[in-house]
Amino acid sequence: MKDKGTSTYLAAGFFLALWSFTSVVSASPGHGDQQRESMGQPGQPEQVDRSIDIEMHDNYYGVENLDIQAGETIRFQVTNKGKLVHEFSVGTPDMHEGHQEMMQMMVEHGAIKGGQINQQAMQMDMGDGRSMQHDDPNSLLLEAGETGELIWTFNEPVKNLEFACNLPGHYQAGMMGNFHFQQ
Amino acid sequence: MRTLKKIAVFTGSLLFPAVLLAAEYELSVDPVMIDTGDFTKIGVGYNGSSPGPTLRMKEGETATIKVTNNLDVDTSIHWHGLIVPADQDGVPGISFDGIKPGETFTYTFPVRQNGTYWYHSHSGFQEPDGAYGSLVIEAEDREPFRYDRDYVVQLADKHPDAGAQIMHNLKNSAEYYNRTEQTLPDFFSDIGENGFLATVKDRWDWGNMRMMKTDIEDVQGFTGLINGKGPDQNWTGQFEPGERVRLRLINSSASTYFDFRIPGMKMTVVAADGNNIQPVVVDELRLAVAETYDVIVQPREDKAYTLFAESMGRTGYARGTLAPREGMTAAVPEMREPPLLTMADMGHGGMDHGSMSDTEMNASDMDHSSMDHSAMDAADPFYAPGSGLLPQAASGGKFLSYADLRAQQPRYDYREPEREIVLRLTGNMERYIWSINGVKFEDAEPLRLQYGERVKIRFINETMMAHPMHLHGMWSLLNVGAKGDNPTKHVISVNPNTEVAVDVEVDEPGEWAFHCHIFNHANAGMFLKVVVEGGDA
Repeated sequence: MKDKGTSTYLAAGFFLALWSFTSVVSASPGHGDQQRESMGQPGQPEQVDRSIDIEMHDNYYGVENLDIQAGETIRFQVTNKGKLVHEFSVGTPDMHEGHQEMMQMMVEHGAIKGGQINQQAMQMDMGDGRSMQHDDPNSLLLEAGETGELIWTFNEPVKNLEFACNLPGHYQAGMMGNFHFQQ
Repeated sequence: MRTLKKIAVFTGSLLFPAVLLAAEYELSVDPVMIDTGDFTKIGVGYNGSSPGPTLRMKEGETATIKVTNNLDVDTSIHWHGLIVPADQDGVPGISFDGIKPGETFTYTFPVRQNGTYWYHSHSGFQEPDGAYGSLVIEAEDREPFRYDRDYVVQLADKHPDAGAQIMHNLKNSAEYYNRTEQTLPDFFSDIGENGFLATVKDRWDWGNMRMMKTDIEDVQGFTGLINGKGPDQNWTGQFEPGERVRLRLINSSASTYFDFRIPGMKMTVVAADGNNIQPVVVDELRLAVAETYDVIVQPREDKAYTLFAESMGRTGYARGTLAPREGMTAAVPEMREPPLLTMADMGHGGMDHGSMSDTEMNASDMDHSSMDHSAMDAADPFYAPGSGLLPQAASGGKFLSYADLRAQQPRYDYREPEREIVLRLTGNMERYIWSINGVKFEDAEPLRLQYGERVKIRFINETMMAHPMHLHGMWSLLNVGAKGDNPTKHVISVNPNTEVAVDVEVDEPGEWAFHCHIFNHANAGMFLKVVVEGGDA
């Protein structure tokens, strides 16, 4: 248990590093933090304004456009109806691109195989204090048939905010959808 | 089916009504002028042009195609990759008698699949002379990917010599079109590098094989075409930056394998031979003769991108452009150095390492998920180790391998094949005879299959050229070690000195053609008739 805690902690550190790196890339110089904050943050159950059901299929989302209000907190109830592992991840295109490298690594190392996630492989030490633990606050990774929940609070309107599956090739093939901020 | 209904709620606009549709198509087979930009010549086309029009069908409809022969010789059309009743398959002498001059023949068949295919004449030398076109079938259900634009990118190797002349020249000398034969200066420079004895021995070995290291393409001197346009005519497809563009790559060459890339852009391969695969992001891919691959690209910048297809032997290329506006172009790369065949392609040292037999390749060996990066970078298991043909991406990145292909939605449940059939791909380069199990078509007994059985066909390539093997009428389930997830194909490229296995579910009665799709190889005898016994033919 102790080991697991450590790797999770280290992984979280790595993801935070990745998170800020990608957001710096995506925003204009000096506005990285601003973009990351404006994208929103994990929400609390008591703040939830409404729930949205999302179905994931091989390899697309049942919904590809979602209207949202700035400031809204939404509970995404996500079901993987496909036979492959899929992800529901909130971010900008550049953030997704950064995350795709991680997912590629997971698949290459057997942490994700077909419809299943190998938790043991996820915790494998990747060196430099990195593991492949998938615990980004902005995304859900679901096995075939699995259901999960992500609560997200949206702040101010962000251009190009998307939900996406970053498994190798899935985003590129079109497994993504757009958030549209309503005035 | 229940799942489908649920999908329909969300994506209703993307679905086509699942009612039986009857659709009529008309094609005339005409003498046409073909202008490649490098030369102009008379050829054969459809509806007045070569390539013919893109036929757009819908899965679930019954297609009726009226084909009128305006030539002064017999013709035929084969629907490449389509599963149709045996008498609609369009091979004269096997499926039907052919279409006489002036006659109109009406094909009718239910369209039971979707994706990217093509059609071509199966008579005389009409296919290399220009008688080909593309065939796109819209899916009945939601596809497992999406795109904003959709282009056919049909590659061909147009030669200034007529098809019959090419065959005649090859029969006289297999090296007739080899513009890259090793020369006397090569001999002396090799002596400088390798020493006299080694060089003489090397030349002696190759002479004994009646092959040359440059025997990768036996018909050189062609102009590469994209949708009928030569490199200078520059076929162009337009896009808005950020859009996803589906490119339906079809290799309709008579002889040429093409290595396709778009410098500066990754491609996501989503279908092979019309069947969806789990997406693979690549920098470059090789299209064997008669294969199709669908890729999705997303050009984000407001600039032009070059579509570049080099022949495998680097003797010619096709070029086109993707651009936000007509008239924009991007740099056209130089062709890379021509590869040379090696002893590995010749078969010295045995075939053990290049073979893809089940005993040597099990699922875990081949499975992506268990490969680490170094294994991924290692040689493609579908080439003999040390093969001169082993492809490498120009970018240094990922080159698609057959080993990457996994069915997105397997067409058949997995079951063990009931028996195995060995087909040795054989040939005599000097006399330009190509054959199967050492016997050319005219002398060969038909291959008899039983309706309802599942057979394993093991190809063993004993020649030094790659052979794209095409079984008509039934799918070939390519063994990549993934059992039920093995991809479904209609052309299987078998590289020199390798073995490749496919399973075939024998589910279509009647008589079918089975041949190498390099036009002159099929013509010289690498061709079998398949008879499916039983079923209600």
